[in-house]
Amino acid sequence: MALLTFTRRAVLAAGTALAMSFGMPAAAQTPPNVLFVGQIAEPKALDPAAVTAVNDFRILMNVYDGLVRYKDGTLEVEPALATGWEISEDGTEYTFTLREGVSFHDGTPFNAEAVVFNFERMLNEDHPFHDTGPFPLAFFFSSVDTVEAVDELTVKFTLSEPYAPFLSNLAYPTGLIVSPAAVEEYGAEFGRNPVGTGPFTFAEWRSNEAVVVEGNADYWDGAPELEAVVFRPITDANTRTAEMLAGGIDLMVEVPPVSLSEFEGEDFTVHEQAGPHVWFLILNAKEGPFADKLVRQVANYAVNKKALVEDVLEGTAEVAAGPTPPAFSWAYNDTLEPYPYDPEKARELLAEAGAEGAELTFYVTEGGSGMLDPVAMGTAIQADLEAVGFDVAIETYEWNTFLGEVNPGLEGKADMAEMAWMTNDPDTLPYLALRTDAFPSEGGFNSGYYSNPEVDELLEEARVATDQERRAELYKEMQTIVQEDAPWVFVANWKQNAVTNERVGGFELQPSFFLLLDDVTKN
Amino acid sequence: MGSYILKRLVSAIPVLLGITVIVFAIMALIPGDPATAILGSYATPENVEKINRDLGLDKPAVQRYFIWLGNMLQGDFGRSFSLNRPVLDEVLERFGATLALAGTSFVLCAVFGVAAGVVSAARQYGFADKAITFAVLLGISIPSFFLGMMMILIFAVQLRWFPVSGMWPVYGSRDLMTLVQHLTLPAIALAVVATGVVARLSRSAMLEVLRQDFIRTARAKGVPERGVIWRHALRAAMVSIIPVLGIQAGFVLSGAVYIEIVFQWPGVGRMLVDAILTRDILLVQGGVVFVAACYVLFNIVVDVAQSLLDPRIKT
Repeated sequence: MALLTFTRRAVLAAGTALAMSFGMPAAAQTPPNVLFVGQIAEPKALDPAAVTAVNDFRILMNVYDGLVRYKDGTLEVEPALATGWEISEDGTEYTFTLREGVSFHDGTPFNAEAVVFNFERMLNEDHPFHDTGPFPLAFFFSSVDTVEAVDELTVKFTLSEPYAPFLSNLAYPTGLIVSPAAVEEYGAEFGRNPVGTGPFTFAEWRSNEAVVVEGNADYWDGAPELEAVVFRPITDANTRTAEMLAGGIDLMVEVPPVSLSEFEGEDFTVHEQAGPHVWFLILNAKEGPFADKLVRQVANYAVNKKALVEDVLEGTAEVAAGPTPPAFSWAYNDTLEPYPYDPEKARELLAEAGAEGAELTFYVTEGGSGMLDPVAMGTAIQADLEAVGFDVAIETYEWNTFLGEVNPGLEGKADMAEMAWMTNDPDTLPYLALRTDAFPSEGGFNSGYYSNPEVDELLEEARVATDQERRAELYKEMQTIVQEDAPWVFVANWKQNAVTNERVGGFELQPSFFLLLDDVTKN
Repeated sequence: MGSYILKRLVSAIPVLLGITVIVFAIMALIPGDPATAILGSYATPENVEKINRDLGLDKPAVQRYFIWLGNMLQGDFGRSFSLNRPVLDEVLERFGATLALAGTSFVLCAVFGVAAGVVSAARQYGFADKAITFAVLLGISIPSFFLGMMMILIFAVQLRWFPVSGMWPVYGSRDLMTLVQHLTLPAIALAVVATGVVARLSRSAMLEVLRQDFIRTARAKGVPERGVIWRHALRAAMVSIIPVLGIQAGFVLSGAVYIEIVFQWPGVGRMLVDAILTRDILLVQGGVVFVAACYVLFNIVVDVAQSLLDPRIKT
């Protein structure tokens, strides 16, 4: 029986050890005034000129300021580090007056020289710190010819040609201003030692665990309420949800639609905000059935967009009417009605076009930035199209492979493909994806080869017009034509969501999809 | 012994070289490139070309392979573009976390697996044997990631005994105690399957040994049953248990990928998955080569340990 007593003793010992570990205060409450944010991934770098992901922007917007920023709750530009600006008659010279008395977190002054340094670093290949890149979004400012410091607090940008989205590009994270002294000190390591002028000062980056920023008591726009913010990368959406439920994080972004029901109680608040996002299907207008405008319209009538946003996406998106998201309120044509779901009409039109039973190859992605739930959506769309008489074959690709197939153009490969864009200006998407000069062969993203000279003209004119009202008119007209021509199936505009727990106050999501935390409180 | 170890080490060199060729070729052949991954929607041919030039990807593949290999032989694994830091720093840091997790799981599966197998064999067809066999069957049938999620739901979200994820508390002190708290759930989730396998094979190895003459002799000369089982029989059975443990060590290392994702453990498996998705070529290559080298080394250690236990194996 010696064996048995031994086993009993072992079990007892193991049990005691387990019981001891249970007794530990494992899930201690997080401290007040320190906000824990559940991010979707580890940031790549905290150098605003070097990154492209919304996930990184969420941290950057709290550490840096740009010359201008989006007004709270809108996508309209207002002063930030610049107190004002003047645009020359011909739209090629922008002169900014800078805010006085602002310092970077390292104590060095913010001035015109600093602004020049920032843009030279990004745009001038001979700049001594150009090698701290690559700067993938530098082309946002490719129209900038020269940046000059006129005096201590005046800086002048000269553009090679009029370019209306310039101001809103300055409000984008790529235009955030970094401390030249810190770039000189850290070189290529600047992305892990960020220094800006923003409401929070960088404190610590523990790889794969957390980025910690602390409140900047001297912030020019009023010190933030919070002592610190801790950004935690939690890539798995289920784990992120569990952390939120267990109180390990106070704020969670990008809640999966299926998890929203977990947060219905009084302990949580779900925030929603429509943003400059559009989810659509690119149709191959060059060859095959979709070369016929009528058949493209059939697809728009056939897809049940309402079911997609309500059932597949659980209400986390709204039905899109045209190529421009309503979040660009000043440029959005609100007289547009989405194509109604009308399978009857779709069948009639299809017969009229003589394309019944047309075979379609449909590229679907497995995931990807802004793609929402692409496989489930693709399957539902396939069913809708087959119900009106198409014969649809899906081909599924991993995101990077998918982009490699779609961006060079659909010719000879597919009739339709899923796509989604998030942009900061109404110019960007149509200019890059709907013009004749934006065919893939020309270096653009018009993968479906849509071509309408009228649209080309409107977009070219809107880009060089400096008067916002004139631009709005042009964009609205463009949207009417594009909707009628149906180069895409317009499907959904995503509403970004976030959840906060009951300890958090003063939080609002922004249409820009940036996360601004300077007015947030936590008890 | 020395020459045996040396021989094994030398024979590992072509294996490692083969691994570098394979991982390099795979990364060069898979569709999608780092520039597209960085630029996403903004990947115009012009931008792609610029990024490729910045990353040195415009050179021919063969040339890139030898540059990479040459640098690596000098200890330079290159720089991860997606994390913007040296590959080796990242891999070492991540490998430490994986080792803590997989090491703990390995100890759990070795101790509990062997103990369960021995008890099971000693009480063949008894109640303990049946209970253990049932538990083992249950254990090897549950996918570890599912078990992990269930454990999070029960022990972290509902009961709040353990933290949900991570390796260290995000705020507050980092000591052994807090590490153990964070380690408990993932280590158990990862160990369960391996424990089952070890228990099964230990049981059959023990049963085989227990039938042999020297056990009867030991019992006949009056060695207490406990001594017979744990000293005489287990020692002989270890010769066939140790290779199984070696395989399980590899299993927990590779199984750690799922667990690292579920528990947000900052380990090398999760790093590789992220690196593949962002096409961070140097990080994938460096990470795979490093892990493979560890595997090879571990196998050599197991073989050497076995030859120490059983001199017949050494040749």
